[in-house]
Amino acid sequence: MRRISRRAVLAVPVGLLAASRVAHAQTVKPRLTLISQWSTGSDGAAITALGKKFEERGGTWQHSPVPGFTTDMMNKLRAQIMAGDPPACSQLKGPDIAAWSKIAPTVNLDAVITAAGYEKVIAPDLAKIHAPFGHWLAMPLQVYRTNTMFYSKRAMDRAKATKIPTNWAEFNELAENMKAAGIASPFANGGLRFDDGMKFETSLAGINPAVYRAAVMELDAKALQSKEVHDAFVQVRKLANWQDPNVATQHYSVFLPRFIKGDMGILLSGGWAQGVMLNAGYKLDDFILAPGPTENGKPVFILNADAFIFWQRKEADLQAGQMLMADLVMQPAIQTMYSQITGSIPVRTDADLSGPGWSDGQREAAKTLKEAVAVNQVVMSLGHNMAQPNAMTAAMLDAIGEYAHDRTMTPDQGVARLIEAVDSART
Amino acid sequence: MIGSPTRNDRAPGGMLAWRVLRRLPELVVIWVPLLLCAGQVVVFTIWTTVVSFTPSTLMPVTGWVGMRNYTAMLASRNWHIAFDNLLIFGFGFVVLAIAVGLLLAVLLDQRIRGENVMRTIFLYPMAVSFVVTGTVWSWLLNPGIGVQKLVQGLGWSGFRFDWLVRPDMAIYTIIIAAVWQASGFAMALFTAGLRSVEPDLIKAAQIDGAGPWRTYLRVVLPTLWPIVIAVLVILLQFAIKAFDLVRALTDGGPGLSTQLPTLVVYDFMFQRGLLGRGSAAAVLMLLTLLAVLAPYGLWKHWQTRRAARA
Amino acid sequence: MRDIRPSWGRRLIALLLVGFAAAYMVPLAIVVLNSVRSVEDIIQTSTIGWPRALVLSNFTEAWGHYCIAEVCTGIRPYLWNSLAITVPGTLMSTLLGAVAGYAISLWRFRGDAWIFGLVTLGVFLPEQMKLLPWAIVLRDVGLSNTLTGLVMIHTIQGLSFSTLFCRNYYVAIPQDLIKAARIDGAGFFRTFWRIVLPLSPPILIVTVIWQFTGIYNEFLYGVTFTNGTQQPITAALISLTANVANVPQYGVQSAAVLIAAAPTLLVYLLGGRWFVRGLTAGAVK
Repeated sequence: MRRISRRAVLAVPVGLLAASRVAHAQTVKPRLTLISQWSTGSDGAAITALGKKFEERGGTWQHSPVPGFTTDMMNKLRAQIMAGDPPACSQLKGPDIAAWSKIAPTVNLDAVITAAGYEKVIAPDLAKIHAPFGHWLAMPLQVYRTNTMFYSKRAMDRAKATKIPTNWAEFNELAENMKAAGIASPFANGGLRFDDGMKFETSLAGINPAVYRAAVMELDAKALQSKEVHDAFVQVRKLANWQDPNVATQHYSVFLPRFIKGDMGILLSGGWAQGVMLNAGYKLDDFILAPGPTENGKPVFILNADAFIFWQRKEADLQAGQMLMADLVMQPAIQTMYSQITGSIPVRTDADLSGPGWSDGQREAAKTLKEAVAVNQVVMSLGHNMAQPNAMTAAMLDAIGEYAHDRTMTPDQGVARLIEAVDSART
Repeated sequence: MIGSPTRNDRAPGGMLAWRVLRRLPELVVIWVPLLLCAGQVVVFTIWTTVVSFTPSTLMPVTGWVGMRNYTAMLASRNWHIAFDNLLIFGFGFVVLAIAVGLLLAVLLDQRIRGENVMRTIFLYPMAVSFVVTGTVWSWLLNPGIGVQKLVQGLGWSGFRFDWLVRPDMAIYTIIIAAVWQASGFAMALFTAGLRSVEPDLIKAAQIDGAGPWRTYLRVVLPTLWPIVIAVLVILLQFAIKAFDLVRALTDGGPGLSTQLPTLVVYDFMFQRGLLGRGSAAAVLMLLTLLAVLAPYGLWKHWQTRRAARA
Repeated sequence: MRDIRPSWGRRLIALLLVGFAAAYMVPLAIVVLNSVRSVEDIIQTSTIGWPRALVLSNFTEAWGHYCIAEVCTGIRPYLWNSLAITVPGTLMSTLLGAVAGYAISLWRFRGDAWIFGLVTLGVFLPEQMKLLPWAIVLRDVGLSNTLTGLVMIHTIQGLSFSTLFCRNYYVAIPQDLIKAARIDGAGFFRTFWRIVLPLSPPILIVTVIWQFTGIYNEFLYGVTFTNGTQQPITAALISLTANVANVPQYGVQSAAVLIAAAPTLLVYLLGGRWFVRGLTAGAVK
């Protein structure tokens, strides 16, 4: 039940710099209490590696991973904040950063960011999310592209296809060719909510990223009723019809074996899927990684980024720990290590991906990000809670998910449902 | 005065304070746990109701928004679908679990060999966590890998059992998984009831020439009526609180088709960060529950009154 | 019922029972099969199927080596955590519930019907609704993030069930027994110890089984009100399931599920017989 004033937030950095200087002088051993949902797999490995680096720099690392989905982690965070004992650092992303920063005091990172000259090497779209009120509240950790297409080598061979589609017309043609070649369900996606969201956002952003920005990110009523949104729903229906008819609320990884074997042809996912496939025992040359289709020939990048937020604590060792963590996360070597483990792209635009340990997919994604920034075609992912706060995202995904799973709904009905959902969630 | 039905055991000529002090341990042991429990029930319900009238989003805040949260929830598709599903699921699950439990209890009552093993087999699902139940049944009911695939593989290629992936039928799959989990308990209660049927009643019916089915229907089953009520209560609370099972089995999907009030409460309160709306949904759920329980409570009250008068 | 034996009927009955039993065993069988299959096997064929090759490493992996972030101890410590929460919670809520049930049904006091009604209502309250209030309570009594706090929550909530069960059982005890004891000068506790408790084993076992299963399998509070290695086993199991960026570790998950279910299954296997006996003696009316 706390509301903090902007002044209070602004007052912090001075005090914090002073405190950290004092801490340095007294050589307090930095300590960090951290909550995240990264308990297993490549995420777990990456955060563990980060922890080791933290300890190498002399800090005490106290990470409490919360099993389950993001909501469980948020519940733990909420319970801690209510108990007056927020963690020194927690995972947070997207518009949530702005929303959560209003319920408990956070550490203002402006001084740290400026001192490291970090602003020069961050994409401006990221800055908007992580510095929502003009000052930096969160430290971005890694970037993913969610409109990445994976094409099964064997399926392509079966369909005698050689060209990777660059727009939706070519994509649809490829899928039809695959069907004709005997691949009954060319599209290998799952049926979870974020998956349905990704199908929609890739369709719409591919058709017209400016309309995406207006409709999904700004919720402009005219944009929501535009032809492009309608066409996106038509495309989503096509994609849904090309999926396995029995996909209910299954995770896409269920279909990976068929995808690799060539019984399914195309997977739409984020960059992390590459790591998933390699971990499952498959090889890099089993699939081809490519950007999602775009209608205007210029690259579109749908962005998903994780970040850390720092909650104000009075303890000197925690404050020192926060500064150490912020410093670590900005460093090129740390970002390289982290992204190489998870399959993401580093936040720093000056990161060098030419060395070993990077996959071609990551290099290609980083290049596309740069190009998309240059033509202003970077948009935020809806399915991964970057475009809208959770309440609005959930309402939109309700509508999109219902449409995707109900073949009797027409695109017009889908659009109407979406508009209805947006309106009711707006109040 | 607490616990003193007769005059004889009052301390002879003792003062009130002394009497209370002597009874202190018993007062503490009776009242403290009960007050804590009842208090938790009352206070938490009141807290939730209060929050439902505030503009709370991520955290509970003070403020007053009147009925706005309620009208928003009552107008939402999520709540409508969830409410309808609760009726379908609640009714279907309770009736089916009672029917299956009764059937199993009657079958087991026939002194078949290995009845103890069978009883354990029917009871063990209650020991399994809901998450595991939901997950395993989501595999079994998936047309691509479960029952449909098996039966089609056996040669019956036209067989369809794809309820799990159809928005109009998915709610019934939840009934199946829930009945699997809870019918053993109903069976155990009915078995207990069958065992306490007085042998004289049965002998009398047999002497009258009633065959086995007639005996069951006319004599035995009617005595099970109080057990049915008890089973109803247990199954009803199971149905209302069903959360982990549904999340693991369908996650409210496909689309919104298997939403239930507990999922809506959790979704709005925590996933969407709309505590006010979520609390309103919780209160609506409790009101629905009250609508079902109140008649039973009144009936019980009237029944005990009638028995006391008789 | 005991004397009826038309043989065609008996064969049909036996067939029906075996059929039902097989259906009831199928889910467990799937989990058991998956626990001896490798993850690749399950991913590459299906979550339902015979093992391509028997793999026993899932169990050792789940028990001692599985990593949850930095902590690679398998689920072993989480099992102890769960027991540390469940055993005290079960014992306390059962005992307190027995005393409360006895007080309400036999000893009687002013307002007992009201209190009983309120306590019973607690049986229906969903835990999602109570999450934040409990967080506030834990904060105010200083038990946030402790296993003791969880035990407290489960004891207080468990009282609803245990009082309901015990009270419905004790009403069957004739009031005369209590009156006689009182006339002989026995007070509240003496009457309980001498008269009521010896009659209680069936209902106590029913309550213990019910509470043990409920507290052990609980997930929401276990995750929200503990930290890191304090978490109960339900939380550890969830971390084995899929999130966005990982393939579900089905084989290890199934082995972990079996290990995790061992205590409750054991309780049901051992206590199952008593369960029915307890209910026969009129547990729930």
